[in-house]
Amino acid sequence: MSGAAPAVPGYGCTIDELMVVTFSRAMANDTRAFNGAVSFIPVCAYRLARRTHAPDLVWAASSIAVDADPDVVGSSTLSDELWGGASMLANSPFDFWAYAQGARYNTFAFRGAQMDAYGNVNNSVIGPYDNPKIRLPGGGGMADLGCMIPRIYLWSTTHDPRTFVDRLDFRSGVGWGDGGDHRASLGMPGGPQLCITNMCVFDFEPTSKRMRLASLHPGVSVADVQAATGFEVLLPGGEVPATAHPSAEELRLLRTEVDPTGARLREF
Amino acid sequence: MNSAPMAFVRELVRVGRRDLTVVAIVAGMCVDWLAAAGAVSRVVAGLISFEGFGLAPHFRRGVESGEVTMEEYSEHLLICRLQAQARRLPFVPTVAGLGTDVPALHAESGALRVETDAATGRAYVACTPLAVDVAVVHVHEADVAGNARVNPKLIWLDSEIVNAAERTIVTAERIVDTASFTAEPHRTTYPRFMVDAVCEAPRGAFPTSCFPDYGHDNGFFEDYLAACSSPEAFGDFFERRVAGPATWADFLAANDVQPAGGDGGEAGS
Repeated sequence: MSGAAPAVPGYGCTIDELMVVTFSRAMANDTRAFNGAVSFIPVCAYRLARRTHAPDLVWAASSIAVDADPDVVGSSTLSDELWGGASMLANSPFDFWAYAQGARYNTFAFRGAQMDAYGNVNNSVIGPYDNPKIRLPGGGGMADLGCMIPRIYLWSTTHDPRTFVDRLDFRSGVGWGDGGDHRASLGMPGGPQLCITNMCVFDFEPTSKRMRLASLHPGVSVADVQAATGFEVLLPGGEVPATAHPSAEELRLLRTEVDPTGARLREF
Repeated sequence: MNSAPMAFVRELVRVGRRDLTVVAIVAGMCVDWLAAAGAVSRVVAGLISFEGFGLAPHFRRGVESGEVTMEEYSEHLLICRLQAQARRLPFVPTVAGLGTDVPALHAESGALRVETDAATGRAYVACTPLAVDVAVVHVHEADVAGNARVNPKLIWLDSEIVNAAERTIVTAERIVDTASFTAEPHRTTYPRFMVDAVCEAPRGAFPTSCFPDYGHDNGFFEDYLAACSSPEAFGDFFERRVAGPATWADFLAANDVQPAGGDGGEAGS
């Protein structure tokens, strides 16, 4: 499962590191986050943010262990391997679902096998639902937390047309729904903020709520992103900036304290 | 990955049960064992995976071949159905699943209904009761009367299943005296009237975790997936490391696991 991530030309880091740092920088100091399954990039980002610009950030490891600070990130982000240093083990049936439904947790990240322009995700099936080509694990909490949590972040280490599709085979989790004011009309708070991929960063155009190119990773062109994306990529006015350079200190912390064993490479 | 009643599930495999319906909010290896053995025909769940290790291979193939039906919910929709059952309510409302394709999967059966509250105009999903025959949960300590304790506290969603089920079977790392419960009643997880049977099963969640006693076993997950390279290799692995050993103690020995920290040798069967 664990792979290697390519180098970022001229940045002295690899793409996993650029993704974690970019994700980390998007986290405000009032972030109250938790994580679900196979969420190595977000987990590393929360841990890094707390060590840099967001010391008050709350992260509940596996949605359970509040303020955990484990020595390493292990083979599962739903595992008690992540719970070292926690101040509370908040249980699932009572604590977690109350905090989530009340948006006391305000930040959630999800990744689908398929994602569409509105930040909706599919982790259920590839192909027809009743006769799937690939049966995926299921949405788990995606359909729940997508509705409940105001700040949603998406990420993908496989930016290609099979992942970024015009139409999902199944909507396991809701982002901006059908776009426009659809999400708000369903009574849901906030919505997707960014989608951080191995090629670029998308934000969401405020009116249509479609993904819009916010920055390009070094060596990637607008045409590359469009070719790897199954829907029309919106462009900002003016030139698309390069994704900001990680600092030496961020890279040092990531490599030596946040994820010294490289668990994040399980996503590559 | 966590606190699954693996000793009980292995026994279902070993005695050749067939056509089971398994309700599991979030699960992985236990459902895959049952799928590999052809024991399960229906899975009612929110997520079935091996987490950072990848997809659950036999569950996946079972659904793709049509041998296993996945009745898919989100985590919270399933919790609400179990709560409706536990509390004998016509439904439990939640905003979970709105705007997704999940509720529509259950429109025809009527298990979920998307409705609008007449008073506030807010949309919700009405989750109807889900009947469960038997809950099986793994705990750290139980007494012979059925009092059971997850030590130090309940973390996962097991209580939702216990409260919904007609009967509950507890497997326990250790059988302890009732005095251990009366000395610290605030730490009891399930009272004896909720528990119908208790079985001692040291390391009974292996290869999943039983926090804080032991973590999930990376090596087992890796060996299991490596064996999936061919049906022959898997058949051999499954017989040797899962279904073949006659007792739970034999199973642990086959997987090179000590039954309990420091006081090994008293494995139940």
